[in-house]
Amino acid sequence: MMKQRRKPTFFQVLCIGISLIVVLVLVAVFLGLILFSSPEALLGSLLSEEIWYAIKLSVITAVISTLFCLVIAIPVAYSMVRFEFFGKQWVNVLLNLPLSLPPLVAGVALLIFLSPVTSPIGQFLSHMGVYVVYTPAAIIIAQIFVNAPYMVRIARSTFSMISPRYEHVARTLGCSEFGAFRKITLPMAKNGLIGGIVITWSKAMGEFGAVLMLAGAIAMKTETLPIALFLNMSTGDLDMAISAALILLIISGAALILFEYFGKDNGDVYA
Amino acid sequence: MLEIESLSIQLGEFSFTDLNLKVTDGEYCIILGPTGAGKTILLETIAGIHHPKNGRILLNDKDITNIPPERRGIGMVYQDYMLFPHMTVAENIGFGLKERGVSVSERDAAVQNIAKTMGISHLLERHPKTLSGGEQQRTAIARSLLLRPSVLLLDEPLSALDTITRDRLRDELKAIHKETGMTILHITHHFEDIYALADRVVVMRNGTIVQEGTPDMIMRHPVSDFIANFTGMENLFTGNAIRTPSGIVEIRIGTILLHAVTELTGQVHAGIRPEDMIISTEPFTSSAQNSFSGVVTEIIDTGVYSKIVVDTGITMTAVLTRQSIQRLGITRGTSVWLTFKATAVHVFRE
Repeated sequence: MMKQRRKPTFFQVLCIGISLIVVLVLVAVFLGLILFSSPEALLGSLLSEEIWYAIKLSVITAVISTLFCLVIAIPVAYSMVRFEFFGKQWVNVLLNLPLSLPPLVAGVALLIFLSPVTSPIGQFLSHMGVYVVYTPAAIIIAQIFVNAPYMVRIARSTFSMISPRYEHVARTLGCSEFGAFRKITLPMAKNGLIGGIVITWSKAMGEFGAVLMLAGAIAMKTETLPIALFLNMSTGDLDMAISAALILLIISGAALILFEYFGKDNGDVYA
Repeated sequence: MLEIESLSIQLGEFSFTDLNLKVTDGEYCIILGPTGAGKTILLETIAGIHHPKNGRILLNDKDITNIPPERRGIGMVYQDYMLFPHMTVAENIGFGLKERGVSVSERDAAVQNIAKTMGISHLLERHPKTLSGGEQQRTAIARSLLLRPSVLLLDEPLSALDTITRDRLRDELKAIHKETGMTILHITHHFEDIYALADRVVVMRNGTIVQEGTPDMIMRHPVSDFIANFTGMENLFTGNAIRTPSGIVEIRIGTILLHAVTELTGQVHAGIRPEDMIISTEPFTSSAQNSFSGVVTEIIDTGVYSKIVVDTGITMTAVLTRQSIQRLGITRGTSVWLTFKATAVHVFRE
């Protein structure tokens, strides 16, 4: 193709200029975070017991909550895409509500729902010897509650890109309804779902508001990475706080790259 | 025999009511109709994908209305192939047999065999994404044929293909039908398919069957404007028909007078198939009662044939092969005569 060098218009200069400023600001902000502590101090805090505990707790709770999210999201997303039922649009609003809701609000709602002091359900659970609030289990519940709608959304857009006719053909070839889903739709949705898992997991790693409300910020008990960041900031222990922040930054970056990778391959629309 | 008895279905915005259709064993039945006529939904209902609100579907005298698709023994091929992208061509074709628990060796043999028939043996290890449209549709047809369905449903199987591939695959469908004697229900909007393949044609519109009959009957005597338009009746006019004492009917359309053989008088539609018109560069003496002189205003190349648009006072379209055009030396602006019989004028009311 022939390329002609033309004088850029004012509009082009303006758009590109603003983009450039945004990029520079982002780089500066993140570099500031990375370069703030001396490498030795950073290494020291990264190896500290508290940070290790936070990493382990975050990873474990995020993995478990992501699995739950996946198990919830697949049937919900599939229903929303493939089936027609009464009140579907209201279900849709309800499912999306947690997306725009501040996680703090979700956390308070959960706390009131599960606390033995405020709710019959909490009382019933405590009678059974199950204490949820202010435990690591609460972290998982909070993460699921906040993240499941995201996973549903991603799974939904993935399923909606797969024409139901694939299943129709599979049915005429001998598959049961579930068989067609398992052998055709699910494998076709694989990449989209993996992308969703990555994003959901990374969001769970960083979930703060809802976790703070339901699980509290108890050092070495419900201390996930974001909670560690919060606790150490409030005590003025900047090196510790920043090492927690850096780990979260790296996780976000890696998750985004992975999501892009799986998303790219998912560029095929099977409509 | 496939029988559809007073079938009604409601699907979102779409519905059809009280549909009746019979397809006898070994018949090649073509369903014709515009988009949105409910043809695909009808096929999917026959396949068992949608459940009808009312009515029954019988296959060989057995009521299959409540039988799930996987146990109906009905095959389905869509316009856009619907090959499973995560499987190879061989896995796609063998999918149905695998579902039936047929052993690997038996399956392989059957897949090889049908692939050979369909001319896709060399593609078996490839993934659908890497195939051409024609190759994909061959694979899709092979996939459903392998199960020897008692009825094969084809939803515009040739529409996404280029002309040459379409013609070739159409011939193969004909051969397959002849060889297997399978009952085939085929949706199309190409009238070539009708002449080449159909034993019988069913015309659908807005969820109802508006005409049924042999291809010749449908093409020669379309019951409505819509069918005429649809079946390639290019020359459609509206005018006033008057019966003359000689028994022939004269239809006045603009400045010209068409002669037709019909029972109808008054406000009518008249259709003339382009291939029924004879083009000549000199006045043409024949028994034909319609002959008009005019000027060629346009020549449209459609591949094998070219459409010749002639202004005779009204705009008429005839078809000629490229050789004939050259032989007659017709170009834009040439004065020509269009001649056709009174019986070539199809008169109908909406």
